[in-house]
Amino acid sequence: MNNNSSFELHLFESFKEGDETAFTYFYDKYFRRITAFSIQFIYDKDEAENLAQEALLYLWQNKETVESLNGIQSFLYTYAKSKCLNMIRHNKVKDKFKSEVLNQKERELDIEILNSVQFDTLELTELERLIQESISDLPPKTREVFIKKRFENKKNAEIAEEMQVTLKAVEAHMTKALKILKTKLSDYLFLIFILICNN
Amino acid sequence: MTSEIIYKYLSNEASEQEVQLLFEWIDASEENKKHFITLKKTWALTALSEDLSKKSTPVIAIQPKKKSIQYLKYAAVFLVLCGLVKVAFNFNQKAKSSKEIILELANGRSEYITKDNQTKLVNDKGDLIAKKFSNQIIYFGKVQDQEVVYNTLKVPYGKKFKLTLSDGTVVSLNSGTTLKYPEQFGINGKRNVYLTGEAFFEVAKDKQHPFIVNANQVDIEVLGTKFNVSAYPENPSVNGTLVEGSIEMYEAENKLNAVLLQPNQMATWNNNSKKITTKEVDPGFYSAWTKGELAFKDTPFSTIAKIIQRTYDVEIINENAVLARQNFTGTIKISESSVENILELLKRDTPFNYSVKGNTITITNLR
Repeated sequence: MNNNSSFELHLFESFKEGDETAFTYFYDKYFRRITAFSIQFIYDKDEAENLAQEALLYLWQNKETVESLNGIQSFLYTYAKSKCLNMIRHNKVKDKFKSEVLNQKERELDIEILNSVQFDTLELTELERLIQESISDLPPKTREVFIKKRFENKKNAEIAEEMQVTLKAVEAHMTKALKILKTKLSDYLFLIFILICNN
Repeated sequence: MTSEIIYKYLSNEASEQEVQLLFEWIDASEENKKHFITLKKTWALTALSEDLSKKSTPVIAIQPKKKSIQYLKYAAVFLVLCGLVKVAFNFNQKAKSSKEIILELANGRSEYITKDNQTKLVNDKGDLIAKKFSNQIIYFGKVQDQEVVYNTLKVPYGKKFKLTLSDGTVVSLNSGTTLKYPEQFGINGKRNVYLTGEAFFEVAKDKQHPFIVNANQVDIEVLGTKFNVSAYPENPSVNGTLVEGSIEMYEAENKLNAVLLQPNQMATWNNNSKKITTKEVDPGFYSAWTKGELAFKDTPFSTIAKIIQRTYDVEIINENAVLARQNFTGTIKISESSVENILELLKRDTPFNYSVKGNTITITNLR
Protein backbone atom coordinates (compact mmCIF):
# COMPACT_ATOMS: atom_id res chain seq x y z
CA MET A 1 0.00 0.00 0.00
CA ASN A 2 2.72 2.44 0.98
CA ASN A 3 4.83 1.45 -1.95
CA ASN A 4 1.87 1.90 -4.19
CA SER A 5 1.19 5.28 -2.73
CA SER A 6 4.67 6.61 -3.31
CA PHE A 7 4.65 5.08 -6.76
CA GLU A 8 1.32 6.74 -7.47
CA LEU A 9 2.44 10.01 -5.96
CA HIS A 10 5.31 10.02 -8.36
CA LEU A 11 2.98 9.28 -11.25
CA PHE A 12 0.65 11.99 -10.07
CA GLU A 13 3.45 14.54 -10.33
CA SER A 14 4.20 13.41 -13.88
CA PHE A 15 0.50 13.48 -14.67
CA LYS A 16 0.29 17.07 -13.51
CA GLU A 17 3.18 17.91 -15.80
CA GLY A 18 1.31 16.43 -18.73
CA ASP A 19 2.98 13.02 -18.97
CA GLU A 20 0.69 10.79 -21.04
CA THR A 21 2.11 7.54 -19.70
CA ALA A 22 1.18 8.61 -16.22
CA PHE A 23 -2.28 9.51 -17.43
CA THR A 24 -2.59 6.09 -19.05
CA TYR A 25 -1.89 4.50 -15.70
CA PHE A 26 -4.74 6.37 -14.06
CA TYR A 27 -6.95 5.74 -17.05
CA ASP A 28 -6.46 2.01 -16.74
CA LYS A 29 -6.95 2.12 -13.03
CA TYR A 30 -10.22 4.05 -13.08
CA PHE A 31 -11.88 3.28 -16.37
CA ARG A 32 -13.42 0.04 -15.12
CA ARG A 33 -14.41 1.49 -11.78
CA ILE A 34 -16.19 4.45 -13.22
CA THR A 35 -17.88 2.26 -15.80
CA ALA A 36 -19.01 -0.18 -13.15
CA PHE A 37 -20.25 2.61 -10.93
CA SER A 38 -22.21 4.32 -13.67
CA ILE A 39 -23.75 1.12 -14.95
CA GLN A 40 -25.54 0.76 -11.64
CA PHE A 41 -27.50 3.89 -12.46
CA ILE A 42 -27.79 4.10 -16.20
CA TYR A 43 -28.04 0.35 -16.88
CA ASP A 44 -26.22 0.38 -20.18
CA LYS A 45 -22.67 -0.82 -20.58
CA ASP A 46 -21.87 1.17 -23.69
CA GLU A 47 -23.29 4.35 -22.22
CA ALA A 48 -21.38 3.72 -19.01
CA GLU A 49 -18.16 3.20 -20.92
CA ASN A 50 -18.72 6.41 -22.86
CA LEU A 51 -19.30 8.17 -19.62
CA ALA A 52 -16.11 6.82 -18.06
CA GLN A 53 -14.14 7.83 -21.11
CA GLU A 54 -15.58 11.32 -21.00
CA ALA A 55 -14.79 11.60 -17.31
CA LEU A 56 -11.17 10.63 -17.91
CA LEU A 57 -10.83 12.97 -20.83
CA TYR A 58 -12.26 15.75 -18.75
CA LEU A 59 -9.77 14.89 -16.03
CA TRP A 60 -6.90 15.16 -18.50
CA GLN A 61 -8.15 18.51 -19.77
CA ASN A 62 -8.50 19.84 -16.25
CA LYS A 63 -5.46 18.30 -14.64
CA GLU A 64 -4.31 21.60 -13.21
CA THR A 65 -7.42 21.77 -11.01
CA VAL A 66 -6.65 18.42 -9.36
CA GLU A 67 -4.59 19.14 -6.32
CA SER A 68 -3.76 15.77 -4.90
CA LEU A 69 -3.47 12.14 -5.83
CA ASN A 70 -6.70 11.37 -4.01
CA GLY A 71 -8.30 14.19 -5.90
CA ILE A 72 -8.26 12.09 -9.05
CA GLN A 73 -10.87 9.59 -8.01
CA SER A 74 -12.89 12.23 -6.30
CA PHE A 75 -12.86 14.21 -9.54
CA LEU A 76 -13.87 11.19 -11.61
CA TYR A 77 -16.62 9.93 -9.33
CA THR A 78 -18.04 13.42 -8.94
CA TYR A 79 -18.14 13.77 -12.70
CA ALA A 80 -19.80 10.36 -13.07
CA LYS A 81 -22.31 11.15 -10.37
CA SER A 82 -23.45 14.42 -11.90
CA LYS A 83 -23.51 12.90 -15.36
CA CYS A 84 -25.67 9.99 -14.14
CA LEU A 85 -27.99 12.41 -12.36
CA ASN A 86 -28.31 14.45 -15.53
CA MET A 87 -29.08 11.44 -17.62
CA ILE A 88 -31.75 10.22 -15.24
CA ARG A 89 -33.33 13.65 -14.94
CA HIS A 90 -33.40 14.13 -18.68
CA ASN A 91 -34.88 10.72 -19.29
CA LYS A 92 -31.84 9.48 -21.12
CA VAL A 93 -31.90 6.22 -19.20
CA LYS A 94 -33.75 3.48 -21.03
CA ASP A 95 -36.77 1.92 -19.37
CA LYS A 96 -35.98 -1.37 -17.68
CA PHE A 97 -39.46 -2.41 -16.73
CA LYS A 98 -42.76 -2.77 -18.43
CA SER A 99 -44.42 -0.83 -15.69
CA GLU A 100 -43.85 2.90 -15.93
CA VAL A 101 -44.45 3.14 -12.18
CA LEU A 102 -41.47 0.89 -11.54
CA ASN A 103 -39.26 2.79 -13.96
CA GLN A 104 -40.22 6.03 -12.27
CA LYS A 105 -39.65 4.58 -8.83
CA GLU A 106 -36.25 3.27 -9.78
CA ARG A 107 -35.19 6.65 -11.12
CA GLU A 108 -36.29 8.35 -7.94
CA LEU A 109 -34.35 5.89 -5.83
CA ASP A 110 -31.26 6.20 -8.00
CA ILE A 111 -31.37 9.99 -7.76
CA GLU A 112 -31.62 9.73 -4.01
CA ILE A 113 -28.72 7.29 -3.83
CA LEU A 114 -26.51 9.38 -6.07
CA ASN A 115 -27.28 12.48 -4.06
CA SER A 116 -26.40 10.72 -0.85
CA VAL A 117 -22.91 9.80 -2.03
CA GLN A 118 -20.43 12.54 -1.30
CA PHE A 119 -17.26 12.02 -3.21
CA ASP A 120 -15.21 13.90 -0.79
CA THR A 121 -11.53 13.09 -1.23
CA LEU A 122 -11.17 11.76 2.24
CA GLU A 123 -14.30 9.70 2.07
CA LEU A 124 -13.25 7.83 -1.03
CA THR A 125 -9.78 6.95 0.14
CA GLU A 126 -11.05 5.92 3.50
CA LEU A 127 -13.92 4.05 1.92
CA GLU A 128 -11.62 2.17 -0.39
CA ARG A 129 -9.51 1.09 2.54
CA LEU A 130 -12.59 0.08 4.44
CA ILE A 131 -14.00 -1.87 1.55
CA GLN A 132 -10.72 -3.73 1.13
CA GLU A 133 -10.64 -4.44 4.81
CA SER A 134 -14.24 -5.54 5.01
CA ILE A 135 -13.80 -7.87 2.10
CA SER A 136 -10.75 -9.47 3.59
CA ASP A 137 -12.67 -9.87 6.84
CA LEU A 138 -15.40 -11.92 5.20
CA PRO A 139 -15.48 -15.65 6.00
CA PRO A 140 -13.22 -17.42 3.44
CA LYS A 141 -15.95 -19.11 1.40
CA THR A 142 -18.11 -16.03 1.38
CA ARG A 143 -15.15 -13.92 0.35
CA GLU A 144 -14.32 -16.26 -2.48
CA VAL A 145 -17.87 -16.12 -3.79
CA PHE A 146 -17.99 -12.36 -3.41
CA ILE A 147 -14.71 -11.81 -5.23
CA LYS A 148 -15.65 -14.14 -8.05
CA LYS A 149 -18.97 -12.40 -8.44
CA ARG A 150 -17.98 -8.78 -8.04
CA PHE A 151 -14.48 -8.62 -9.37
CA GLU A 152 -14.29 -11.50 -11.78
CA ASN A 153 -17.81 -11.08 -13.04
CA LYS A 154 -18.70 -14.71 -12.92
CA LYS A 155 -22.22 -16.00 -13.16
CA ASN A 156 -23.72 -17.73 -10.15
CA ALA A 157 -23.79 -20.98 -12.05
CA GLU A 158 -20.11 -20.71 -12.93
CA ILE A 159 -19.20 -19.97 -9.34
CA ALA A 160 -21.29 -22.89 -8.13
CA GLU A 161 -19.52 -25.21 -10.51
CA GLU A 162 -16.03 -23.94 -9.72
CA MET A 163 -16.57 -24.21 -6.02
CA GLN A 164 -18.58 -27.40 -6.18
CA VAL A 165 -21.50 -25.95 -4.29
CA THR A 166 -25.16 -25.46 -5.11
CA LEU A 167 -26.59 -22.35 -6.72
CA LYS A 168 -28.53 -21.71 -3.54
CA ALA A 169 -25.29 -21.73 -1.56
CA VAL A 170 -23.75 -19.15 -3.89
CA GLU A 171 -26.78 -16.92 -3.46
CA ALA A 172 -26.65 -17.38 0.29
CA HIS A 173 -22.96 -16.41 0.38
CA MET A 174 -23.65 -13.27 -1.66
CA THR A 175 -26.52 -12.30 0.60
CA LYS A 176 -24.30 -12.83 3.61
CA ALA A 177 -21.42 -10.84 2.11
CA LEU A 178 -23.68 -7.93 1.34
CA LYS A 179 -25.14 -8.01 4.81
CA ILE A 180 -21.72 -7.89 6.43
CA LEU A 181 -20.45 -5.17 4.11
CA LYS A 182 -23.58 -3.18 4.59
CA THR A 183 -23.24 -3.26 8.36
CA LYS A 184 -19.61 -2.24 8.26
CA LEU A 185 -19.94 0.37 5.60
CA SER A 186 -23.24 1.83 6.68
CA ASP A 187 -21.80 2.93 10.00
CA TYR A 188 -19.05 4.50 8.09
CA LEU A 189 -21.20 6.20 5.51
CA PHE A 190 -23.36 7.52 8.27
CA LEU A 191 -20.33 8.89 10.09
CA ILE A 192 -19.11 10.64 6.99
CA PHE A 193 -22.53 12.13 6.59
CA ILE A 194 -22.33 13.63 10.05
CA LEU A 195 -18.82 14.89 9.43
CA ILE A 196 -19.84 16.63 6.26
CA CYS A 197 -22.91 18.20 7.79
CA ASN A 198 -20.98 19.48 10.78
CA ASN A 199 -18.33 21.02 8.64
CA MET B 1 -36.04 -13.03 1.92
CA THR B 2 -35.70 -9.33 1.19
CA SER B 3 -31.91 -9.53 1.20
CA GLU B 4 -32.09 -12.11 -1.49
CA ILE B 5 -34.33 -9.98 -3.64
CA ILE B 6 -32.08 -6.95 -3.13
CA TYR B 7 -29.11 -9.00 -4.16
CA LYS B 8 -30.94 -10.27 -7.22
CA TYR B 9 -31.98 -6.75 -8.03
CA LEU B 10 -28.44 -5.47 -7.76
CA SER B 11 -27.08 -8.15 -10.01
CA ASN B 12 -29.87 -7.50 -12.47
CA GLU B 13 -31.41 -10.89 -11.98
CA ALA B 14 -34.70 -9.95 -10.38
CA SER B 15 -38.00 -10.34 -12.16
CA GLU B 16 -40.36 -7.42 -12.60
CA GLN B 17 -42.58 -8.92 -9.94
CA GLU B 18 -39.68 -9.17 -7.54
CA VAL B 19 -38.69 -5.59 -8.23
CA GLN B 20 -42.28 -4.58 -7.58
CA LEU B 21 -42.15 -6.38 -4.24
CA LEU B 22 -38.82 -4.81 -3.43
CA PHE B 23 -40.02 -1.31 -4.19
CA GLU B 24 -43.13 -1.86 -2.10
CA TRP B 25 -40.92 -2.99 0.74
CA ILE B 26 -38.73 0.11 0.33
CA ASP B 27 -41.82 2.29 0.48
CA ALA B 28 -43.00 0.62 3.64
CA SER B 29 -40.61 2.45 5.94
CA GLU B 30 -37.78 4.96 6.08
CA GLU B 31 -35.69 2.28 7.72
CA ASN B 32 -36.11 -0.05 4.77
CA LYS B 33 -35.31 2.69 2.35
CA LYS B 34 -32.12 3.59 4.18
CA HIS B 35 -31.14 -0.04 4.25
CA PHE B 36 -31.62 -0.34 0.50
CA ILE B 37 -29.81 2.87 -0.30
CA THR B 38 -26.81 1.80 1.76
CA LEU B 39 -26.69 -1.54 0.00
CA LYS B 40 -26.91 -0.13 -3.48
CA LYS B 41 -24.32 2.47 -2.61
CA THR B 42 -21.98 -0.21 -1.32
CA TRP B 43 -22.62 -2.29 -4.39
CA ALA B 44 -21.90 0.57 -6.79
CA LEU B 45 -18.74 1.59 -4.99
CA THR B 46 -17.31 -1.91 -4.71
CA ALA B 47 -17.85 -2.43 -8.38
CA LEU B 48 -14.60 -2.69 -10.25
CA SER B 49 -15.63 -4.75 -13.12
CA GLU B 50 -16.18 -4.35 -16.77
CA ASP B 51 -18.36 -6.49 -18.97
CA LEU B 52 -21.07 -6.24 -16.45
CA SER B 53 -23.95 -6.16 -18.79
CA LYS B 54 -22.47 -8.70 -21.14
CA LYS B 55 -22.12 -11.36 -18.55
CA SER B 56 -24.99 -10.63 -16.26
CA THR B 57 -27.78 -10.57 -18.78
CA PRO B 58 -29.60 -13.44 -17.24
CA VAL B 59 -31.95 -14.81 -19.79
CA ILE B 60 -31.74 -13.43 -23.24
CA ALA B 61 -28.92 -11.62 -24.90
CA ILE B 62 -29.34 -11.57 -28.58
CA GLN B 63 -26.77 -9.59 -30.47
CA PRO B 64 -27.31 -8.90 -34.10
CA LYS B 65 -24.51 -10.04 -36.30
CA LYS B 66 -23.29 -6.87 -37.85
CA LYS B 67 -24.87 -3.98 -36.08
CA SER B 68 -23.85 -2.95 -32.64
CA ILE B 69 -26.97 -2.17 -30.75
CA GLN B 70 -26.64 -0.82 -27.30
CA TYR B 71 -30.06 -1.05 -25.88
CA LEU B 72 -30.40 -4.74 -26.52
CA LYS B 73 -28.20 -5.49 -23.58
CA TYR B 74 -30.55 -4.11 -21.09
CA ALA B 75 -33.53 -4.99 -23.12
CA ALA B 76 -32.53 -8.44 -22.09
CA VAL B 77 -33.22 -7.66 -18.50
CA PHE B 78 -36.47 -6.16 -19.51
CA LEU B 79 -37.43 -9.29 -21.34
CA VAL B 80 -36.71 -11.55 -18.46
CA LEU B 81 -38.98 -9.45 -16.46
CA CYS B 82 -41.88 -9.59 -18.79
CA GLY B 83 -41.20 -13.26 -19.35
CA LEU B 84 -42.39 -13.92 -15.86
CA VAL B 85 -45.53 -11.96 -16.25
CA LYS B 86 -47.82 -14.35 -17.98
CA VAL B 87 -48.47 -13.03 -21.40
CA ALA B 88 -51.69 -13.43 -23.24
CA PHE B 89 -50.64 -16.38 -25.34
CA ASN B 90 -49.64 -19.50 -23.64
CA PHE B 91 -48.66 -21.73 -26.47
CA ASN B 92 -47.46 -24.52 -24.29
CA GLN B 93 -50.70 -25.01 -22.53
CA LYS B 94 -52.58 -25.25 -25.75
CA ALA B 95 -50.18 -27.87 -26.91
CA LYS B 96 -50.70 -30.01 -23.86
CA SER B 97 -54.26 -30.87 -24.62
CA SER B 98 -53.58 -31.99 -28.16
CA LYS B 99 -50.11 -33.44 -28.15
CA GLU B 100 -48.58 -35.86 -25.73
CA ILE B 101 -45.42 -37.89 -25.57
CA ILE B 102 -46.20 -41.31 -26.98
CA LEU B 103 -44.50 -44.56 -26.13
CA GLU B 104 -44.99 -47.38 -28.60
CA LEU B 105 -44.34 -50.77 -27.09
CA ALA B 106 -42.98 -53.87 -28.74
CA ASN B 107 -46.39 -55.50 -28.88
CA GLY B 108 -47.78 -52.59 -30.85
CA ARG B 109 -49.56 -50.98 -27.94
CA SER B 110 -49.20 -47.20 -27.54
CA GLU B 111 -49.21 -45.32 -24.30
CA TYR B 112 -49.37 -41.64 -23.52
CA ILE B 113 -46.85 -40.32 -21.07
CA THR B 114 -48.81 -37.88 -18.98
CA LYS B 115 -48.29 -36.09 -15.75
CA ASP B 116 -47.95 -37.87 -12.45
CA ASN B 117 -48.49 -41.38 -13.58
CA GLN B 118 -45.51 -43.19 -12.22
CA THR B 119 -46.08 -46.69 -13.47
CA LYS B 120 -44.16 -49.85 -14.03
CA LEU B 121 -43.61 -51.29 -17.43
CA VAL B 122 -43.74 -55.07 -17.67
CA ASN B 123 -43.11 -57.19 -20.72
CA ASP B 124 -45.33 -60.01 -22.00
CA LYS B 125 -43.71 -62.42 -19.61
CA GLY B 126 -44.57 -60.18 -16.72
CA ASP B 127 -40.96 -59.14 -15.98
CA LEU B 128 -40.43 -55.62 -14.78
CA ILE B 129 -38.46 -53.82 -17.48
CA ALA B 130 -38.85 -50.12 -16.76
CA LYS B 131 -40.20 -47.46 -14.48
CA LYS B 132 -42.12 -44.69 -16.06
CA PHE B 133 -42.28 -41.15 -14.71
CA SER B 134 -43.93 -38.08 -16.16
CA ASN B 135 -40.70 -36.74 -17.60
CA GLN B 136 -38.56 -39.81 -17.94
CA ILE B 137 -38.46 -43.57 -18.33
CA ILE B 138 -35.80 -45.77 -16.84
CA TYR B 139 -35.22 -49.21 -18.35
CA PHE B 140 -33.24 -52.05 -16.91
CA GLY B 141 -32.15 -55.62 -17.61
CA LYS B 142 -30.65 -57.52 -20.52
CA VAL B 143 -32.04 -60.24 -22.73
CA GLN B 144 -30.82 -62.87 -25.17
CA ASP B 145 -30.03 -61.30 -28.53
CA GLN B 146 -32.84 -63.03 -30.34
CA GLU B 147 -35.29 -61.61 -27.85
CA VAL B 148 -34.42 -57.97 -28.42
CA VAL B 149 -37.59 -56.00 -29.07
CA TYR B 150 -37.94 -52.30 -29.73
CA ASN B 151 -39.89 -49.50 -28.15
CA THR B 152 -40.40 -46.15 -29.82
CA LEU B 153 -40.72 -42.86 -28.05
CA LYS B 154 -42.20 -39.87 -29.81
CA VAL B 155 -41.73 -36.42 -28.33
CA PRO B 156 -44.00 -33.81 -29.94
CA TYR B 157 -43.18 -30.14 -30.51
CA GLY B 158 -43.18 -28.20 -27.29
CA LYS B 159 -42.00 -31.13 -25.14
CA LYS B 160 -38.77 -32.73 -24.04
CA PHE B 161 -38.08 -36.08 -22.45
CA LYS B 162 -35.37 -38.15 -20.83
CA LEU B 163 -34.72 -41.86 -21.18
CA THR B 164 -32.41 -44.15 -19.33
CA LEU B 165 -31.87 -47.19 -21.52
CA SER B 166 -31.36 -50.64 -20.07
CA ASP B 167 -27.55 -50.34 -20.36
CA GLY B 168 -27.54 -47.15 -18.29
CA THR B 169 -27.16 -44.83 -21.26
CA VAL B 170 -29.00 -41.57 -20.69
CA VAL B 171 -30.69 -39.96 -23.67
CA SER B 172 -32.22 -36.49 -23.59
CA LEU B 173 -34.75 -36.03 -26.36
CA ASN B 174 -35.46 -32.61 -27.80
CA SER B 175 -38.83 -31.43 -29.10
CA GLY B 176 -40.07 -33.11 -32.26
CA THR B 177 -37.91 -36.20 -31.86
CA THR B 178 -38.50 -39.91 -32.31
CA LEU B 179 -36.18 -42.53 -30.89
CA LYS B 180 -36.48 -46.27 -31.43
CA TYR B 181 -34.47 -48.34 -28.98
CA PRO B 182 -34.35 -51.87 -27.58
CA GLU B 183 -36.62 -52.41 -24.64
CA GLN B 184 -33.69 -54.32 -23.22
CA PHE B 185 -30.33 -54.56 -24.93
CA GLY B 186 -29.08 -57.96 -26.04
CA ILE B 187 -26.30 -59.73 -24.22
CA ASN B 188 -23.94 -59.95 -27.19
CA GLY B 189 -24.80 -57.69 -30.09
CA LYS B 190 -24.23 -54.05 -30.73
CA ARG B 191 -26.42 -51.48 -29.10
CA ASN B 192 -28.49 -49.97 -31.92
CA VAL B 193 -30.88 -47.05 -31.60
CA TYR B 194 -32.67 -45.13 -34.36
CA LEU B 195 -33.04 -41.37 -34.22
CA THR B 196 -35.08 -38.75 -36.02
CA GLY B 197 -34.78 -35.30 -34.50
CA GLU B 198 -32.28 -34.29 -31.86
CA ALA B 199 -30.91 -36.08 -28.84
CA PHE B 200 -28.03 -35.80 -26.41
CA PHE B 201 -26.46 -39.13 -25.51
CA GLU B 202 -24.45 -40.02 -22.46
CA VAL B 203 -23.50 -43.53 -23.43
CA ALA B 204 -22.66 -46.01 -20.70
CA LYS B 205 -19.17 -47.43 -21.25
CA ASP B 206 -19.18 -50.95 -22.60
CA LYS B 207 -16.33 -51.82 -24.93
CA GLN B 208 -17.79 -55.17 -25.83
CA HIS B 209 -20.99 -53.64 -27.17
CA PRO B 210 -20.52 -50.62 -29.41
CA PHE B 211 -23.41 -48.16 -29.25
CA ILE B 212 -24.72 -47.07 -32.63
CA VAL B 213 -27.03 -44.18 -33.35
CA ASN B 214 -28.68 -44.70 -36.72
CA ALA B 215 -29.70 -41.30 -38.02
CA ASN B 216 -30.91 -40.58 -41.51
CA GLN B 217 -28.28 -42.06 -43.84
CA VAL B 218 -25.45 -42.16 -41.35
CA ASP B 219 -24.54 -44.19 -38.32
CA ILE B 220 -22.63 -42.87 -35.36
CA GLU B 221 -20.70 -45.50 -33.51
CA VAL B 222 -19.36 -45.05 -30.02
CA LEU B 223 -18.01 -46.95 -27.07
CA GLY B 224 -18.78 -44.69 -24.15
CA THR B 225 -19.06 -40.98 -24.47
CA LYS B 226 -21.18 -37.83 -24.45
CA PHE B 227 -22.39 -36.34 -27.67
CA ASN B 228 -25.26 -34.58 -29.37
CA VAL B 229 -26.94 -35.71 -32.58
CA SER B 230 -29.23 -33.47 -34.57
CA ALA B 231 -31.06 -35.19 -37.40
CA TYR B 232 -34.31 -33.38 -38.03
CA PRO B 233 -36.07 -34.60 -41.15
CA GLU B 234 -36.55 -31.04 -42.45
CA ASN B 235 -32.80 -30.49 -42.47
CA PRO B 236 -30.70 -31.94 -45.30
CA SER B 237 -27.95 -32.83 -42.85
CA VAL B 238 -27.07 -34.71 -39.69
CA ASN B 239 -24.83 -33.11 -37.07
CA GLY B 240 -22.91 -35.06 -34.47
CA THR B 241 -21.14 -32.99 -31.82
CA LEU B 242 -18.76 -34.67 -29.43
CA VAL B 243 -18.35 -33.54 -25.84
CA GLU B 244 -16.29 -36.35 -24.39
CA GLY B 245 -14.71 -39.60 -25.56
CA SER B 246 -14.68 -40.47 -29.21
CA ILE B 247 -17.27 -41.24 -31.88
CA GLU B 248 -17.19 -42.32 -35.47
CA MET B 249 -19.71 -41.16 -38.03
CA TYR B 250 -20.08 -43.18 -41.22
CA GLU B 251 -22.47 -43.51 -44.10
CA ALA B 252 -24.82 -46.41 -43.40
CA GLU B 253 -24.49 -47.68 -46.98
CA ASN B 254 -20.76 -47.20 -47.19
CA LYS B 255 -18.84 -47.69 -44.00
CA LEU B 256 -15.61 -46.51 -45.59
CA ASN B 257 -17.08 -43.02 -45.86
CA ALA B 258 -16.27 -42.25 -42.24
CA VAL B 259 -14.75 -39.73 -39.89
CA LEU B 260 -13.47 -40.14 -36.38
CA LEU B 261 -14.28 -37.24 -34.09
CA GLN B 262 -12.22 -35.74 -31.28
CA PRO B 263 -13.93 -33.93 -28.40
CA ASN B 264 -15.04 -30.39 -29.33
CA GLN B 265 -15.52 -31.36 -32.93
CA MET B 266 -18.69 -31.58 -34.94
CA ALA B 267 -19.24 -33.86 -37.90
CA THR B 268 -21.83 -32.89 -40.47
CA TRP B 269 -23.33 -35.32 -42.94
CA ASN B 270 -24.85 -33.77 -46.02
CA ASN B 271 -27.68 -35.69 -47.74
CA ASN B 272 -27.00 -34.11 -51.10
CA SER B 273 -23.25 -34.36 -51.37
CA LYS B 274 -23.08 -37.56 -49.30
CA LYS B 275 -20.02 -36.11 -47.65
CA ILE B 276 -19.06 -35.82 -44.02
CA THR B 277 -17.18 -32.71 -42.93
CA THR B 278 -15.79 -31.82 -39.52
CA LYS B 279 -15.07 -28.60 -37.70
CA GLU B 280 -14.03 -27.41 -34.26
CA VAL B 281 -16.97 -26.21 -32.16
CA ASP B 282 -17.96 -25.34 -28.63
CA PRO B 283 -19.99 -28.43 -27.77
CA GLY B 284 -21.75 -26.63 -24.94
CA PHE B 285 -23.43 -24.55 -27.59
CA TYR B 286 -24.90 -27.61 -29.29
CA SER B 287 -26.09 -29.22 -26.08
CA ALA B 288 -27.49 -26.01 -24.56
CA TRP B 289 -31.01 -27.32 -25.19
CA THR B 290 -30.48 -30.11 -22.65
CA LYS B 291 -30.13 -27.37 -20.04
CA GLY B 292 -33.32 -25.71 -21.20
CA GLU B 293 -31.60 -23.09 -23.31
CA LEU B 294 -31.71 -22.12 -26.94
CA ALA B 295 -28.32 -20.96 -28.16
CA PHE B 296 -27.69 -19.10 -31.38
CA LYS B 297 -24.42 -18.02 -32.92
CA ASP B 298 -24.67 -16.12 -36.15
CA THR B 299 -27.74 -18.23 -36.69
CA PRO B 300 -29.99 -17.28 -39.61
CA PHE B 301 -33.53 -16.35 -38.71
CA SER B 302 -34.89 -19.26 -40.76
CA THR B 303 -33.11 -21.70 -38.44
CA ILE B 304 -34.20 -19.80 -35.36
CA ALA B 305 -37.79 -19.92 -36.58
CA LYS B 306 -37.58 -23.70 -36.96
CA ILE B 307 -36.18 -24.07 -33.48
CA ILE B 308 -38.87 -21.84 -32.02
CA GLN B 309 -41.53 -23.85 -33.83
CA ARG B 310 -40.29 -27.08 -32.32
CA THR B 311 -39.64 -25.72 -28.87
CA TYR B 312 -42.89 -23.87 -28.40
CA ASP B 313 -45.05 -25.87 -30.76
CA VAL B 314 -46.11 -22.93 -32.87
CA GLU B 315 -46.07 -22.25 -36.55
CA ILE B 316 -44.14 -19.28 -37.85
CA ILE B 317 -44.83 -17.78 -41.24
CA ASN B 318 -42.25 -15.18 -42.17
CA GLU B 319 -43.08 -12.70 -44.90
CA ASN B 320 -40.36 -10.24 -43.95
CA ALA B 321 -37.41 -10.54 -46.30
CA VAL B 322 -35.04 -8.41 -44.23
CA LEU B 323 -35.58 -10.56 -41.18
CA ALA B 324 -35.10 -13.71 -43.21
CA ARG B 325 -31.59 -12.56 -44.08
CA GLN B 326 -30.65 -11.49 -40.57
CA ASN B 327 -28.40 -13.56 -38.30
CA PHE B 328 -28.56 -13.54 -34.53
CA THR B 329 -26.38 -14.53 -31.63
CA GLY B 330 -27.56 -15.18 -28.11
CA THR B 331 -28.97 -17.53 -25.52
CA ILE B 332 -32.56 -17.88 -24.38
CA LYS B 333 -33.83 -19.69 -21.31
CA ILE B 334 -36.84 -21.60 -22.57
CA SER B 335 -38.73 -21.83 -19.31
CA GLU B 336 -38.51 -18.09 -18.71
CA SER B 337 -39.29 -16.82 -22.16
CA SER B 338 -42.38 -16.98 -24.30
CA VAL B 339 -42.42 -16.83 -28.08
CA GLU B 340 -43.60 -13.27 -27.74
CA ASN B 341 -40.59 -12.34 -25.62
CA ILE B 342 -38.27 -13.66 -28.27
CA LEU B 343 -40.06 -11.94 -31.12
CA GLU B 344 -40.15 -8.66 -29.20
CA LEU B 345 -36.41 -8.92 -28.74
CA LEU B 346 -35.68 -9.72 -32.37
CA LYS B 347 -37.94 -6.84 -33.30
CA ARG B 348 -35.66 -4.41 -31.57
CA ASP B 349 -32.90 -5.29 -33.96
CA THR B 350 -34.87 -5.79 -37.13
CA PRO B 351 -38.24 -4.08 -36.89
CA PHE B 352 -41.25 -6.12 -38.05
CA ASN B 353 -44.90 -6.63 -37.30
CA TYR B 354 -46.42 -9.90 -36.28
CA SER B 355 -49.84 -11.26 -35.58
CA VAL B 356 -50.86 -14.29 -33.61
CA LYS B 357 -53.79 -16.45 -34.54
CA GLY B 358 -54.14 -19.66 -32.59
CA ASN B 359 -50.79 -21.34 -32.82
CA THR B 360 -49.76 -19.51 -35.97
CA ILE B 361 -47.57 -16.45 -35.95
CA THR B 362 -47.32 -14.39 -39.10
CA ILE B 363 -44.41 -12.00 -39.41
CA THR B 364 -44.82 -9.12 -41.85
CA ASN B 365 -43.04 -5.95 -42.86
CA LEU B 366 -43.59 -2.76 -40.96
CA ARG B 367 -46.41 -0.85 -42.48
